[in-house]
Amino acid sequence: MAALARSGGGYLERPASSGLADVIDVILDKGLVIDAYVRVSLIGIEILTIDARIVIASVDTYLRFAEAVNRLDLQQADDSQGLPELMESMTEGGAKSKSKGALEGVKDAVTGGGDDDDDDDKQKSSSSRRRSSSSGSSSSRSRSRKSS
Amino acid sequence: MPQDAAARVYVYGVLSGSDQAAVSVGGVEKAEVRTVEHAGLAALVSSLEADALAAAREVRAHWRVLEEASKSATVLPVRFGTVLDGDAAVREQLLEPNAERLAQLLGELHGRVQLNVKGEYDEERLLREVVGASPAVATLRDRVQSVSETAGYYDRIRLGELVAAEIARHQEQDAALALARLEPLAVTASVEQPSSPNAAFGLAFLVDGGEVDAFSEAVGRLRQELGERVALRYVGPLPPYSFAEADLSAGAAAWA
Repeated sequence: MAALARSGGGYLERPASSGLADVIDVILDKGLVIDAYVRVSLIGIEILTIDARIVIASVDTYLRFAEAVNRLDLQQADDSQGLPELMESMTEGGAKSKSKGALEGVKDAVTGGGDDDDDDDKQKSSSSRRRSSSSGSSSSRSRSRKSS
Repeated sequence: MPQDAAARVYVYGVLSGSDQAAVSVGGVEKAEVRTVEHAGLAALVSSLEADALAAAREVRAHWRVLEEASKSATVLPVRFGTVLDGDAAVREQLLEPNAERLAQLLGELHGRVQLNVKGEYDEERLLREVVGASPAVATLRDRVQSVSETAGYYDRIRLGELVAAEIARHQEQDAALALARLEPLAVTASVEQPSSPNAAFGLAFLVDGGEVDAFSEAVGRLRQELGERVALRYVGPLPPYSFAEADLSAGAAAWA
């Protein structure tokens, strides 16, 4: 490696592997768009807001730290067990979404999942209202991406 | 492999049928990631059972799959949240009608990677520089500071306007400098929308695999040249998001 040998005094520049924070906008706004796909009742609404993106990115950071810490473990730690468990507990909202819908999953992730269960009904109705009112704008926003 | 051939599938990306993308991480809903092949192309997919996806979690799964697959193959990333109605639909609606366009894109991108270079200003430092370099800003700033907030209302706005214009000028210059230093080592470059208020520039480069070291050295030199004024964030390799944009719709109105 010429670059290594030549790096007299300086350090060798290398691209960092990207965390979700680096690419969240790209993932959500770019990529091939395929006609005629099935719309799974998704997604795509709260996730377009900047706040939600920031939260998603920091959750990714935490998960990566957790993974790294797991790998550090001195004894033969079973990281294939540690991470999924961690993900389960961090994404309880996701599990609940089976009954509550994906939007609640997002909302839980965004609010840290700290909502009390007793106001579930209120949340549900408000989020489904949001879903129907903003689904149009999410499409148009995706549409209006700049072409390069 | 044709398990659940009738179930819906989540689509991550498309690669050449001759490339092998080894993906060991679980996909969306932790489903196993596999390929659906047709016409010399392979779509990276996983079976999907749920009607609803927890977006916050699955966007991460989506990214992990693309990230891993991209280490060993050129993968055209598909927009997050794309679901097709089974393996047959992947062949008939995605691969078959777009085979030529996809193969062409894959050909252009083969052996190349996307590297992103972002510049961020240290806000305080930048503002000091602006005040120091622009007499108009400095004068107005002194005037605003000497009067009450109400009295100086319009001066304040004017001051802010001047500062914003100066920052825009800095951004333009720094972006031009970065492009001038790095673009010669890349196949092509794309100027991205700056995502943060302190962004100096956001640039994406398509770089030949063999040129990555040379490109990285150039980034190192640019980092020194910019000094502490601009913090550089250099990430990659990424799937070629900025260079693989295509609308594969048959009819333009279909998505709305």
